[in-house]
Amino acid sequence: MTRHVISVVLLWLGLTAIGESLVFLDLFPTVGAAEAKDFDQIFRILLFMGIPVFSFAIAMLAYSMLAFKGTGQPDEAGPTYRGSGAIPKIWLAITGSLAALVMVYPGMTGLADLQFSRDGFGWGKTDAELVVQVTGQQFAWSYEFPQSGVSIPPVAGKELWLPENTRVKFEIHALDVLHSFWIPAFRMKIDAVPGRMTFFTVETEHLGYYKDDDSFRVQCAELCGLNHTTMFTAVRVVSREDFEKWTQDQPKTEKK
Amino acid sequence: MWALTTISGGIGTGLIGFYLGIGLTAVLRHFFGYDLFERDLSSAVGYVFGLFGWLMGIGMWGSWGREWFGLKTHGTAVKGWQRYFTWSTDHKVIGVQYLTTFVVVFLLAGLMAMLIRMELAHSGLQFFDNKQYNTILGLHGILMIAVAVAAVVGGLGNYVIPLIIGAEDMAFPRLNALSFWIVPPLSVLLLATPFLGGLETGWTSYPPLSVVTESGQTFWNLAIITFGFSSILGGVNFLVTIFFLRAPGMTWGKLPIFVWSMFVTAWLALLYTQGFFVALLMVTLDRIAGTSFFDAKEGGDPLLYQHVFWFYSHPAVYIMILPGLGIALEIIGHFSRKPLFAYRYAVGAFLGILGLAGVVWAHHMFTSGMPNYLHGPFLVMTELISIPTGLIFLSALGTLWMGKLNLKTPMLFAMAVIFNFANGGVTGIFLADVPTDIHLTDTYFVVAHFHYTIVGGEIFALFAGIYYWFPKITGKMYNEALGKLHFWWMFIGFNATFMVMHWPGIQGMNRRIADFPAGLDAVNLFVSISSFLLGASFLIFVFNVVRSLIWGRQAEDNPWAARTLEWQTTSPPPVENFLEPPHVVGHPYDYGVPGSVHGVFGGGIAAAPAGGGGAGGGGAGGG
Repeated sequence: MTRHVISVVLLWLGLTAIGESLVFLDLFPTVGAAEAKDFDQIFRILLFMGIPVFSFAIAMLAYSMLAFKGTGQPDEAGPTYRGSGAIPKIWLAITGSLAALVMVYPGMTGLADLQFSRDGFGWGKTDAELVVQVTGQQFAWSYEFPQSGVSIPPVAGKELWLPENTRVKFEIHALDVLHSFWIPAFRMKIDAVPGRMTFFTVETEHLGYYKDDDSFRVQCAELCGLNHTTMFTAVRVVSREDFEKWTQDQPKTEKK
Repeated sequence: MWALTTISGGIGTGLIGFYLGIGLTAVLRHFFGYDLFERDLSSAVGYVFGLFGWLMGIGMWGSWGREWFGLKTHGTAVKGWQRYFTWSTDHKVIGVQYLTTFVVVFLLAGLMAMLIRMELAHSGLQFFDNKQYNTILGLHGILMIAVAVAAVVGGLGNYVIPLIIGAEDMAFPRLNALSFWIVPPLSVLLLATPFLGGLETGWTSYPPLSVVTESGQTFWNLAIITFGFSSILGGVNFLVTIFFLRAPGMTWGKLPIFVWSMFVTAWLALLYTQGFFVALLMVTLDRIAGTSFFDAKEGGDPLLYQHVFWFYSHPAVYIMILPGLGIALEIIGHFSRKPLFAYRYAVGAFLGILGLAGVVWAHHMFTSGMPNYLHGPFLVMTELISIPTGLIFLSALGTLWMGKLNLKTPMLFAMAVIFNFANGGVTGIFLADVPTDIHLTDTYFVVAHFHYTIVGGEIFALFAGIYYWFPKITGKMYNEALGKLHFWWMFIGFNATFMVMHWPGIQGMNRRIADFPAGLDAVNLFVSISSFLLGASFLIFVFNVVRSLIWGRQAEDNPWAARTLEWQTTSPPPVENFLEPPHVVGHPYDYGVPGSVHGVFGGGIAAAPAGGGGAGGGGAGGG
């Protein structure tokens, strides 16, 4: 029995060590915002905690298959452990603490960093340097910059320019059906809902352009109809000066 | 040819009903001054009448309907293979009808998955346009949901539950037949949707899109609403059966674990199915009756649908997975040759999941734009579910420990259930935690996650159960070498497909798209090739089944030396299941306990009352 316990623990530790190497791999798309860093970190924490759980199941299954193989004779029987003693209680204590841990950190703590009001419909702080009003409709996005009056119509081939190192708030709604406003480089997503204004706020960090890196794109992530696949906008994060210049060159609607 | 007569009779009365409905609508519309025919509305009424006509023609009239008019009912006394094509009230026939129907649907929907992976093998559009792709995607989704809901519950549940608890039949045999014969017309309707305008919205059918789309949405809604009926009727039937028809002596503490899992599943089906039903009814009304539940301009709210829909559709995943876990534990118990470890905790786990199932739904909606105050509670509740789920792992792994494992095909599949579900459970944590879910939801990470839980958990368990009960159901033994080949081929193909599929999701490949960024070409090609490998594994299964049915050797009554009651009767069992009524005296999993027996047969033994009536209560008079 002791031999079996030691063997399975060693197998478990070995598999865990191999599995944990995933934590050090760069599994993620480009980091384009502070929020993306948070996501990557929380993902790694969960992976770090999840790998030993999964590898425990693998170790037990694999070891049982190898070490406890019977002869297949019908009258054969193993020891009659019923599992009514301390083991299930210890198991409950461990799984309960793990669940509580994940719930609080990184679950609720992460949520607290994302929600700043009880009744809001979105992620992040509600004040920002730059506000972008986003409208989803089949099958294109349109954008308004109320501070400068710049307006990007819902036509294919347009680009969404954003300044780097800026807190940007996207205010999102939809005209016809549900859409979802998602920028993979920022790891942020929220649905565009008719009759409701949702939002998220990000701190942009690095320069980036869709043509070099497709995680800089606005992608519709809620099935919105036949051409859902094609509903995206290229994103270009530029220096503040370039953004200023771009703003000036754009045709303006009436200033609010 | 009895079979041909009843089936064509059903189709005939079904068609009469269909045209009657359309005609009636035309008459009414004429009186109110509308056009005589409106595609969605007229066909909806036609479908309801047609469904009723089909059921009456197929046998409901003879064995049930005549009673309503004071006439004498008569059943169909068909023997042999033809009875599978008639209105039979024998739970074993109905079980096989369910199982075969849904294995066929599974293979069809699997073919659609192959088409999807063909398109996704390379970026850009190769084979389909967006409309064809969406239709295939939506059909694959809903057919597989139907398989997941009904193959194990309706198929193995119907066949095994009365046998394993020592009953003669289900509590309501005619209700049972009804819940099966609803399925063929709705399957035909679902499969016809590509020719009735296609599908645009995926299986979740979120409005406003599902209200405004000009596709075959109404037909789809009707099919699913009827399917809900079937599921609810099944739920009632299983509950009453498990409550009242257990063999004398089979107390709740001696109930085989598969019965416990089906008990919880039946509660879930009964309590929650109307959520899907009502959600789709509201969509249908918005489409054909001019209501505006989901139209924001008229004061409706699109998010209402998601709340009602997920209120069913999250418990639905437990309807799918719990019987699967029950089968896995059942098989692991018998094939480890030792008592099921922590049996009471495993039962507690199933009941715990039943309790929590109804309060976690909004974790599907973390990015839906619902108010912020909902996220915290649903995050906490969702994480709580991992505690009862963990107990099921304890029971499985504890039973394996120091056992004398009989590594036959059913056992391999059952162990794979534990492996796959552990993976699905761990990736579930990423989706239950809001900060990670925001990026991962609606990506291939989610697709990989739910295929791990539902295919890896339930479908593997379905095959475990099919191989396990194959000798009992058919009286023939399957080919062990082909069974093992199927297992390893499917296991490797499955894990190669879905383990890798998490990564494009993290990288930003969203779901339900026919095209994706070219940077993900290599990984998608790999996933596609693996999925073809996975798909091919089912050819071995089909070959094995056909071969064993024709040339398989005669199976013994109890080839696994298992203790539960279904193995103590002949293979296949007689119509009345047991030649002598069983009494339960001991625990089902007491392998290795000297002198212990689970069931004894014959009337001579004074039976302890079991909280249920005798085994004979079902009979033909139920329903």
